[in-house]
Amino acid sequence: MDDEPKLVCFSCKFGWGYLTKQEGLKDASDFLMPVECSGKLDAIHLLKVFKEGADGILILACEEEHCHFQEGNFRTVKMLYLLKEVLQAHGIEKDRVRIALSLDPEGRSIPGRIAQMKKSLMALGPLNRTLL
Amino acid sequence: MAKKPKVAICWLGACGGCDEAIVDLNEGLLDVAEAVSIELWPVAMDFKYDHLAAFGKDEIAVGLVSGHVRNSEHVEVARLLRERCKLIIGLGACACFGGTPGMANLVPREEILDTVYVKAPSVVNPEGRLPQVETPWEGETLHLPEFMNHVYALNQVIEVDYFIPGCSPPPELIHNGIRAVLADDLPPKGSTLAPRKALCETCPRNKTKPMRLEIHGPIRRIHEVEADPETCFLAEGILCMGPATRTGCGETCIRTNIPCRGCFGPTPGVVDPGSRFISSLAALLKVGTTGNPEAVMASIGDPVGYLYRFTHPVSTLGEKRLSETMEETP
Repeated sequence: MDDEPKLVCFSCKFGWGYLTKQEGLKDASDFLMPVECSGKLDAIHLLKVFKEGADGILILACEEEHCHFQEGNFRTVKMLYLLKEVLQAHGIEKDRVRIALSLDPEGRSIPGRIAQMKKSLMALGPLNRTLL
Repeated sequence: MAKKPKVAICWLGACGGCDEAIVDLNEGLLDVAEAVSIELWPVAMDFKYDHLAAFGKDEIAVGLVSGHVRNSEHVEVARLLRERCKLIIGLGACACFGGTPGMANLVPREEILDTVYVKAPSVVNPEGRLPQVETPWEGETLHLPEFMNHVYALNQVIEVDYFIPGCSPPPELIHNGIRAVLADDLPPKGSTLAPRKALCETCPRNKTKPMRLEIHGPIRRIHEVEADPETCFLAEGILCMGPATRTGCGETCIRTNIPCRGCFGPTPGVVDPGSRFISSLAALLKVGTTGNPEAVMASIGDPVGYLYRFTHPVSTLGEKRLSETMEETP
């Protein structure tokens, strides 16, 4: 892959980077999207991200059993399982979507996580758009 | 006596089930035949496409078109119908959403041709010959329609005025649609001539749905269990597309103890019923935060087939349009 992969990162506002300025975090990725809860992500949002040209998605959700809305993070884990089946049927590798269940109020680890995911996407190569 | 309005009934990539549904109007068909003049109906009568081409622009009052669009003949006939018909009604799940044949979009065209014409166990084709668009034969050229890369819903190829979904559409909806056209009592263009509610709202089993619907344990398929004929399928752990599907079908599957497969397509406002169902299923599945969701999810055999059985060509990932120059545009 010649160009840097396009990674869209959704981060939960309750667990990730809420003690730092969002502008500072945005330097980590051109496509950092803070959300109220990872459980607010609908499957269609993630499908549209791929359809619109992204190479991968990273979801930063709260730790297990520590969701501000009780089980939004767990719901997203379940949703991702089926979503990955759909992606795979379209020739998109399951590893292009990852979820991290953790906590980082200052968001220090976010740039590193994004860089690591981009590295994995580089290794996977360009997204196969034959069936899209 | 005023001239009867002209009607064209035509199939593209279709099984004939939608035409059968028109025949199932029974005595109602006599009313229709009395009120209109059927100018084209390849399945039931002997008409040629030349007859269709001989009509003037918008001369036919309404065209009922069933089937998906997969080859160049479908495109040619669909465009000819669009030109000759004042109104086009997409009839059935294939015309409205691409239908079951749309699942073929998950397999590249070359692989389909290779399987069907070379690798299928019943095929002997050592030279690996594939159908050609043009074949010279005894000084002449034989023509076959071109098999395109993608299965399209009708409105991805031509403008469609109204939709009557279903596999097959219930005769009552067809009858109502024709009556509405004849009485010029139609909703805004682009509307689906079916109720706007979700199937669950009219399902006879809805009263057995628990206040807080939850699915525990593995997902079961209808042939694996003896389903109670009156209980909500989802409450029994059997996948049913009812929550994400438009009603209007008369709940025929439900009444024969078969869960909804989604042939009426999404409810109004929903773009991608498959992804909507993924999100709702994720909420319904109760495996406990310490449980193993993957094991439960893995019990769903062929999730993509379940989710997009009738709607893949109009789904977020599968959607494409065919331009005037026969180019695919995502």
